[in-house]
Amino acid sequence: MLTPVERILFLILVLICGTLAFQGFRRIFKIVRSGRPAQRTDRLVGRFLKAFWEVGLQKPIFRARPLASLFHAFIFYGFCFYALVNVNDLAAGFSSWSALNAGPVFQAFNLFSDLFSILVLTGMLFFLYRRFVLKPRVLEFNPTVLLHPKVRSGGIKMDSLIVGSFILLHVGSRWVGTAFEMAEIGHTNPWMPTAGLVAGMIEGLPHSTIEACIHVCWWLAMGLIVVFVPYFPRSKHIHLLVAPLNLALGRDETRGRLDAVQDASKPGAQTLSELSWPLILDAYACIMCNRCHEVCPAHNSGTSLSPSALEINKRYYINDHSKELAAGGPQAGLLEYAISESAVWSCTTCYACVRVCPVGNEPMMDIIELRRNRVYEGTVSEELTEVLKSLNDQGNSFGESARRRTHWTKSLDIEIKDAAREPVRYLWYMGDYASYHQDCQEVSRKVARVLHAAGVDFGILKKGEKSAGNDVRRVGEEGLFEVLAEENIRTLEGCQFEEILTTDPHTFNALKNEYPQRGGRYKVKHYSQLLLELIENGQIPLRKKLSARVTYHDPCYLGRYNGVYEAPRKVMELCGVELVEMPRNRENSFCCGAGGGRIWMKEPEDMTERPSENRIREALGLGGVAYFTVACPKDFNMYGDAVKNSGNEDKIAVRDIIDFVAEAMDLPESKEV
Amino acid sequence: MRIAVPLKLVPDLVEDLEVDASGTSLDYEDLKVGLNEFDDHALEEALLIKESSGAEVIVLAVDDGQVDKTLYTAVAKGADKAVKITGADPRADNQILGAVFAGVIGQLGVDLVLTGVQSAADRDGQLGPFMAAGLGWPSISVVTEVKPSGTTATVTKEYSGGIMGEFEVDLPVVLGIQAARQPPRYVPVSKVKQVEQSAALETVPSAAAAQESWSKVVRMAPPKKGAGAKMLSSAKEIADILKEKGVL
Amino acid sequence: MGDVHVVADHLAGSLTDVTFEMLDQARKLAGDLGGSVVAVLIGGTEAMVSELGAASRVITVSAEGDFNPEIYSRALRTVVEARSPQVVMVGNTSAGMDLAGALSAGLKLPMAAYCSRVEKGGTITATSQLYGGKMDVVTDLGNGPCVVAMLAGSGSAEAGRVSGSPSVESVDLPAGAGKVRFKRLIQPEAADVDITTQEVLVAIGRGIGSKDDVEVAVELADALGAAVAASRPLVDAGWLPKSRQVGKSGVKVKPKVYLALGISGAPEHIEGMKSSATIIAVNTDENAPIFDVAHYGMVADLFDVCEELMELVE
Repeated sequence: MLTPVERILFLILVLICGTLAFQGFRRIFKIVRSGRPAQRTDRLVGRFLKAFWEVGLQKPIFRARPLASLFHAFIFYGFCFYALVNVNDLAAGFSSWSALNAGPVFQAFNLFSDLFSILVLTGMLFFLYRRFVLKPRVLEFNPTVLLHPKVRSGGIKMDSLIVGSFILLHVGSRWVGTAFEMAEIGHTNPWMPTAGLVAGMIEGLPHSTIEACIHVCWWLAMGLIVVFVPYFPRSKHIHLLVAPLNLALGRDETRGRLDAVQDASKPGAQTLSELSWPLILDAYACIMCNRCHEVCPAHNSGTSLSPSALEINKRYYINDHSKELAAGGPQAGLLEYAISESAVWSCTTCYACVRVCPVGNEPMMDIIELRRNRVYEGTVSEELTEVLKSLNDQGNSFGESARRRTHWTKSLDIEIKDAAREPVRYLWYMGDYASYHQDCQEVSRKVARVLHAAGVDFGILKKGEKSAGNDVRRVGEEGLFEVLAEENIRTLEGCQFEEILTTDPHTFNALKNEYPQRGGRYKVKHYSQLLLELIENGQIPLRKKLSARVTYHDPCYLGRYNGVYEAPRKVMELCGVELVEMPRNRENSFCCGAGGGRIWMKEPEDMTERPSENRIREALGLGGVAYFTVACPKDFNMYGDAVKNSGNEDKIAVRDIIDFVAEAMDLPESKEV
Repeated sequence: MRIAVPLKLVPDLVEDLEVDASGTSLDYEDLKVGLNEFDDHALEEALLIKESSGAEVIVLAVDDGQVDKTLYTAVAKGADKAVKITGADPRADNQILGAVFAGVIGQLGVDLVLTGVQSAADRDGQLGPFMAAGLGWPSISVVTEVKPSGTTATVTKEYSGGIMGEFEVDLPVVLGIQAARQPPRYVPVSKVKQVEQSAALETVPSAAAAQESWSKVVRMAPPKKGAGAKMLSSAKEIADILKEKGVL
Repeated sequence: MGDVHVVADHLAGSLTDVTFEMLDQARKLAGDLGGSVVAVLIGGTEAMVSELGAASRVITVSAEGDFNPEIYSRALRTVVEARSPQVVMVGNTSAGMDLAGALSAGLKLPMAAYCSRVEKGGTITATSQLYGGKMDVVTDLGNGPCVVAMLAGSGSAEAGRVSGSPSVESVDLPAGAGKVRFKRLIQPEAADVDITTQEVLVAIGRGIGSKDDVEVAVELADALGAAVAASRPLVDAGWLPKSRQVGKSGVKVKPKVYLALGISGAPEHIEGMKSSATIIAVNTDENAPIFDVAHYGMVADLFDVCEELMELVE
């Protein structure tokens, strides 16, 4: 359909844009490759098949924001189909081919291209309306978040506008073009219903105008794509290509296991190239949608941490310095442009950002690497220094003597076996909070009495137990974690037991996921799982049916990290309580704010509402819920405080699942010793 | 500038302390000992001087069988050399330890000695003055800031109520550090391990003549205390306690 | 022989309480030793002499400027060498730490520090509070001469504060090396308080009731020369600035005296103040956990206690 001049011009355009684009993409490749190694290319075929399947069904996108995800699906499927459309249009441009009056297969093609055009346009209009008219707060960042100056002055909005305009023009002009084609031949094609409507309106135009418009529309549609390709490396729109790649090359590892330190003489990362290459690729996959900071407890509490700002800043920095970075030149530190030091320490390592990201990004891992570097440099806050010292000297984070680990048993009227001295079926690995924290000790005593009444053969390590080190690893002190793990594994080697039991999800995670690589292979059970077994097999006979309306909070390290959602729920159900789910439940649970060592640190100055208080508000919003149920000692502590500090003691109370079990089994009151 | 920082290990006060069978000493079995926190501050101040105006920092400690880790940690923090003194009793009175440290430090050509102002075990007084006497140098305690310049140093001494005294002192001098300008830095376990594998400790036998302690412990026992809070019945009793503690 | 020398401790122009506490203890000790109490005033002012009436004699050594460890140590050594007292009492204060150690090391005299008591039995014994107050250690100092560094609060300053005109003997300041030169005394700024450096804290919790009642605590604190600290709920409510918050997410404090008023004793708060040397808790709830951690407690209404304390302090 195109004139020879037009064809030549088009080919020249392709050549110029292609060269520019090639340069841009080559730089991307070099920059990503400059990152530290990572093992992500095993079983490539399987990985890509899985990624295409997931992306094809839009599964990662539908994890959040159902309405936006629906409109994205319109655009996604529309654009997938447009691959065929563009091939068709290219052929139509460079030959006399037209699908307008071709055979039945092509009429089906025409129908789909007509409908998908509308879907894409609708989707794109929705997104532009959302960003520029609705302006949802979630697209904004907290005032203290470090932002690249271009982002602060509206860079993302500009990018969205450019991409949105491109899509509207590209698809719109293609769609209008088909209307002109129909107008040219004088009758509409029933297989192109929507374009047909427009065709009806422009039929009356002079023939030369229609001809010209057909060419204009072709150039707008096809030309824009060509012109847009070199823009990809600078735009978040490149996610079209990078997101499926990022998902395919994603971490194929247990969630609860962190990567090993790459270089012991310089652990962690200070600059972009010291991050592993998948983390650099993350910056390109990022669509700057802010779903991650929408679920982030730190961002929700008003602090300077926004996982999306981290990725966005990385991207904008790379855009600014792509030439130097590709050449391996010097780079600024991540703490200068990507994320503030305060934000690095505001992370609770709850994994919500990684879980919700539709393109497979892992901002939490960047933070861990930054922490490792900070710890290595000794740039650690005073409170954290004290806690790490206590862990190193006494094996616990409380600044208490190791010998006092068993003080919680003093007022118990039952004897607990010493798992270090005699064989037991269950070795109860307590964890620091369950042993040393005054409030949590109450829960521990109840658990002991329930297990004793159920005839369970269990014991504790007494003063030989040291912190399992889960959060030591998450604050970046690898060396200390290794020492603790080594000592704990050695201690456990000298014990005889079948399974390890714990009430602490952090301990659960470390023993289950981090210790096997270090030679500690154990069967680890969370007490909710054991309680369920005991109730189901009758060892815990439930004599009373409790009637209370309660809600349950999924602990991060039990639920999102390790997939244990049903056991505690079933236990509660069997006890007879009526369970009402909070909107953010199971994998979408909202962190209490204690993880990642945050419970050891001072609250950030810019915190406006504690995550735990935010969660209590959510529970109160359910209406008529008497108890907030937890299955983790830190949750018990954090939510107890939150209820008190928010003045809601008369509206809701915190209960551990053991409280329900003890009551339902009619456990006699404890006798103080 | 060469700075010596003598280090002492003391019982970790977080522990429940018990008296041994003789009734005159702590029961050290199973008792965790750690670096005296004031010595940690002295080391920090020395490292800060090193970082701001350049200095060689030498840490010293008397061998007690488990002091290596403490010395390696100091080197990992930035100390240049670590000296382990053998042939002396690490738990001896400060009067004796003062002579032990002075004997070794005196041979090192040192301009400044920074040590913790006190420790939890200072029965016979603080270490600083005894070392100073052994070296024949002046001594100032309760120091919160040291600014060396050439052959002198400006020293800030802290009194009560936030009042401070500024002195100028000719080097060499022994200073008892109350607090460094910033809290002692953290050094990660991995760095200490690296130092353990690469660096070496210098072992030096004590040059001091053997001495008897000038005084003897007759009895050691926990102070008599009631269980929980001693309940009072009037505000007057509170006022009396405030007076007794010297704050009223 | 038999004399007890009490080294007067003074700062910024006034004698400190520990001087009088030592004079009080010295009187009994001197009696048991068959000697008298001699106050040693190095530096200081003429007016101070008349405050030292509890001593039989005062030896003065005049020195320019404020405390200088080198000059004062040399002065003290000269006096002790010449007069041979049986016991030399020095305050366990900042100045005292320089003097006591230098004297013991210089004249090779046995010394006991952190003493709460000095007694004459067969020999002279001193009781020291060591290991963070966890152990009382009794030292046999022989028959003297010996040096004891006395803790503040170990005697009765009231009893030791006797005005009079003891006989005065002045001794010349010996010449010396002059390696330590006093420059100036620096007074603290009147900026908002850093509660971690306060000796006494009046801490309030939810028992205080309302923002207006915080005034009561502020008045008491002023009267005691203390600062007001708070548990978290009050800071959250905006009644006091964050700088006053004691606890896990506030600051950790170790004052000499922590007066906890209306504080229940939640673990997070305890964490911030459990290392205080003396904790006095007032709460209407006799089962409040704070009483497990406090050294002294009173089940009472904190407003009543504040009122009474203010009257007693005035």
